[in-house]
Amino acid sequence: MLKDFQKLGRDLFLSGLNSSHSGNLSVRYGDRIVITRRGSMLGHLEERDLIETGLAKNDSKIILASTEIGVHRAIYKGTSALAVVHAHPVHAIALSLLEDQIIPVDSEGAYLLHKIPVIGAEHTIGSQELEKSLPGLLSKYKIVVVRGHGSFAVGQMLEEAYQWTSSLEQVCRIICLTRTLQGEIKDQRSAKFKDW
Amino acid sequence: MSLYGWFGKALRVNLTTGNIKEEAIEEKLLEEWLGGRGLGTHMVNQEVPASCDPLGPANKLVFVTGPLTGSSFPGSGRFSVSAKSPLTGTIFDSNAGGIWGVRLKRCGFDMLMLEGAATTPVILSIRDGVAILEEAGELWGKDVIETTHAITKKLGKDVSVACIGVAGENQVKFAAIMNDGHRALGRGGLGAVMGAKRLKAVVVSGNKKVEMADPDKMDLIVYEADKWIKANPITSKGLPEFGTPVLVNLFNEMGVFPTCNFQGSQFANAGKISGETIAETIYSGRKGCYRCPVQCTRMVKIGASTMAGPEYESLWALGPECGIDDLEVIAEANHLCNRLGLDTISTGVTIGCAMELEERKLLKTGLKFGDAAGILQAIEQIANREGVGELLAEGSRRMAEDCGFARYSMQVKGLELPAYDPRGMQGMGLGFATSNRGGCHLRAYMVGPEALGVPKMVDRFSTGGKAGLTITQQNINAAVDSLIICRFINLAVSEEYFARALSAATGINYQPQDLHRIGERIWNLERLYNLQAGVDSSFDTLPPRLLEEPIAEGPSLGRTVELKPMLAEYYRFRGWDAAGIPTPEKLQELKLGEYSC
Repeated sequence: MLKDFQKLGRDLFLSGLNSSHSGNLSVRYGDRIVITRRGSMLGHLEERDLIETGLAKNDSKIILASTEIGVHRAIYKGTSALAVVHAHPVHAIALSLLEDQIIPVDSEGAYLLHKIPVIGAEHTIGSQELEKSLPGLLSKYKIVVVRGHGSFAVGQMLEEAYQWTSSLEQVCRIICLTRTLQGEIKDQRSAKFKDW
Repeated sequence: MSLYGWFGKALRVNLTTGNIKEEAIEEKLLEEWLGGRGLGTHMVNQEVPASCDPLGPANKLVFVTGPLTGSSFPGSGRFSVSAKSPLTGTIFDSNAGGIWGVRLKRCGFDMLMLEGAATTPVILSIRDGVAILEEAGELWGKDVIETTHAITKKLGKDVSVACIGVAGENQVKFAAIMNDGHRALGRGGLGAVMGAKRLKAVVVSGNKKVEMADPDKMDLIVYEADKWIKANPITSKGLPEFGTPVLVNLFNEMGVFPTCNFQGSQFANAGKISGETIAETIYSGRKGCYRCPVQCTRMVKIGASTMAGPEYESLWALGPECGIDDLEVIAEANHLCNRLGLDTISTGVTIGCAMELEERKLLKTGLKFGDAAGILQAIEQIANREGVGELLAEGSRRMAEDCGFARYSMQVKGLELPAYDPRGMQGMGLGFATSNRGGCHLRAYMVGPEALGVPKMVDRFSTGGKAGLTITQQNINAAVDSLIICRFINLAVSEEYFARALSAATGINYQPQDLHRIGERIWNLERLYNLQAGVDSSFDTLPPRLLEEPIAEGPSLGRTVELKPMLAEYYRFRGWDAAGIPTPEKLQELKLGEYSC
């Protein structure tokens, strides 16, 4: 398990989806959850950085767990996910400040993600508000962006949730680039996903 | 000129003459030393001769609130007491929560100076700014709970009581002053100083409002700070749900949970006494201090009695340190210490030392590791100075030295060590050795960086960089102890918020860097006092066991504290000479030239 966390944590960092100490990963094992340590560096994870605690029940390990443990737990309780990736992809965050949803304009993004909801909350870090709102959305969508904060993606394994995160950022980069070109988009096929 | 955050007033009570007078506190002093530990350190330096007998009338007890005491800032309902310690011979401060400090401040005083000594037991009552000394009468000889109940029954629930128990009356060297029933100004024997002054209790109540310079700004800062506290799993989940005993399993698994007078570093039965076990067995409710969102106090039920449960350090000292794994006995022992007014860490570690001396046949104490009944009896004997208690009441250093085996006393500068084996936490070792009040975890609080990842996780086995980190932690914590904010709030809220809150309260612009500088001045002033009191660099060390005997098993296997290189670096970084004396240049830089020894 450590190798999976290390591989994906490193990739998330190297591809700019997280800054040095941001983001967190978790997997669910029955009624247990393994989550990255609060303040750990995803690009350099060690054994001590993986914290196992209860899915519903706290124990002493809770004091080492990521600040987003409450959101991860809520996602597991409200969805069939077995892995969660939380990242801070910069283009996605930038777009989230302008949009209520992100509609991919590229074929692969549209094929994989269709539409990415953007939600706002007064408190976006360790947020009890997000604990309530995210599970419902993540049972319908693969990934959701919290306005101005970052993305939460779900999967049956870490790699899957990582893929949605990577795809999201790719989608958002293309949208941002397209907007800077200021031309008319010739292919509007992806617009159909607006009501997805 | 009107002050914000402070009242600029002190009350001075001479217990020898009975004279009580109000005094103005210079605004400059408040700005420079803030309150709490800082102001207390300044006052002790100014008024208590370093050579004085800590239990004589020349010693003074300085009760101080902080500029945030009574404000809405989380964890700010605290006060501090400073004096020369009878246990360590050093300058000493201790702070406590509850609501006593807020009520003292609402009397309109930032500081209460108690000097001299009464000839017969007395009580000091300060109600709405009016102070009187009264005969203690039948309260002398009563325990802390009885005393507190008797006073609140007579005066009403809007008064708070800080008092001593039988241990303080008998001048046990590690007697505590207890406030609001079970809150303790523990460690260095401030209760003995109060007992020597024949002052049974200080009763306070008041209604004066503490004015903030910028209440709107304070509201915003508090709103933001509360947000961080709610978001952080330590302050929003771990401490509220399990209290400080949440640390038992964590430190046991790290192999730094000392057992049987630091002979072992892991406790086989830790699961029987952990925070999780308390929550499932004897837990009966939560309580907390004034304006605290964390509410970490555990109330526990033993038989028909409900009592404040043991904190992490108390649980360890009265449990694994003495080889005891019976949770109910530990809770009873903790309650007994609270009633009698004893510091739980020093009580447990002194008993643990006596157990090892008995085991090694070096001293006949009749105490054996794992003897649950024996520990309860020993606590009573210590408080009453009866039988073997007479010896133990002097603390582990004097007890072990008297029988010629000082190496078995697990203390620094006379203060018994708390629940962390520094062989598996090098920075903690340096923090213990250099602490100005002796073996204390709270001065540097290396629990943060070496165990909890606050502000960042560092390699606990490495000595590299630990001198600088320890100094930074010691400095900022000295300032935080002057504000006075609970250490746990600092686990979720950064010092930037403290500086902002201080500015909003006082109207004076403080930056985080100012707090570091204030802390550094406090640290150096404490050092100067200790040097004058004869506590020099030869005391900046650890018990031989921690330097020479490697940990025998577990995740910290084979470790000792590599103190020497860290200490040399520490002195250099502090701007002290090789003998640990602040250089004239450093004192000049800190504008402490007038205090030079």
